[in-house]
Amino acid sequence: MSYFIFTIFDIVLVLSMVWIAWHLLGTEDIFKAVVLFISFGLLMALAWVRMRAPDVALAEAALGAGLTGPLFLSALRRMNRPRKGDRRLDSDEKR
Amino acid sequence: MVPVKKNMDILYHSGTLLILLGLPFFLSGTVGLIRFPDIYTRLHALTKADNVGLGFVVSGLALQSGSWAVTAKLLLIWLLVLIASSASCHLIARSAMQKNIQPWTR
Amino acid sequence: MSWMHTTFALILLPAIVVGLFRILRGPTAADRMVTAQLFGTCGVAILLLLSTGMGNPVLLDIALVFALLAALTTMTFIRRTWHGSGKKKHGYSIS
Repeated sequence: MSYFIFTIFDIVLVLSMVWIAWHLLGTEDIFKAVVLFISFGLLMALAWVRMRAPDVALAEAALGAGLTGPLFLSALRRMNRPRKGDRRLDSDEKR
Repeated sequence: MVPVKKNMDILYHSGTLLILLGLPFFLSGTVGLIRFPDIYTRLHALTKADNVGLGFVVSGLALQSGSWAVTAKLLLIWLLVLIASSASCHLIARSAMQKNIQPWTR
Repeated sequence: MSWMHTTFALILLPAIVVGLFRILRGPTAADRMVTAQLFGTCGVAILLLLSTGMGNPVLLDIALVFALLAALTTMTFIRRTWHGSGKKKHGYSIS
């Protein structure tokens, strides 16, 4: 009974992870990709737990959910932002 | 010896009952996330229903655990989730108000 | 090993999988971020139930790390990516 339920749990987990990864690679919106990556990290931690590696799951929880999410969000703020020299050149051009 | 075992049995089954009571709150939180029309209503469904469900699950597991250390750790986890979700709910709602997202009206 | 707690965790897993639809079609960025927060809460509950279901008390520590770091992503999202002031600054624009 226990084995059966664990097997169903694993199958649902793996299928949803593959689905998340498919959409993560296929999307064009970068912010959506970041949020999908955060949720992928969470499900990956659950998968490590099911593979009986709680230490790797702990590292994945701390890194995937706690550190890479804020890092990606901070990097997203700086994307496509012109540098200082570029901005001054643009304003000079307008005049 | 027998009364102690019966006592543990009662604790175990009441813990199971509490966990079963908590699961519909999680599912209704997800249904609210899918069905509700607005960011504010979604925040409302999520941060309240899920924390109540987590409270039921934590109290049920604490009844079943049978040790004070595990109970303290479970309550610490619930307290942290409560603080985190209420703070982030407030921040997101305030930021949405500042971005002039109008609340949904019928 | 208790199959009952694993069944409860298996019931909670669709709550995460169904929430993925909101990430895929959320109109604003906050909807997607809120869904990531739902994943945090549901993931904590699944880890707590699996800790009894697999008979491994180490999983409580992973749940503790999740609960600690759940707020960090949302705080960064508010502070760095999704500011108040309605006027659009230069940089990566998010609806």
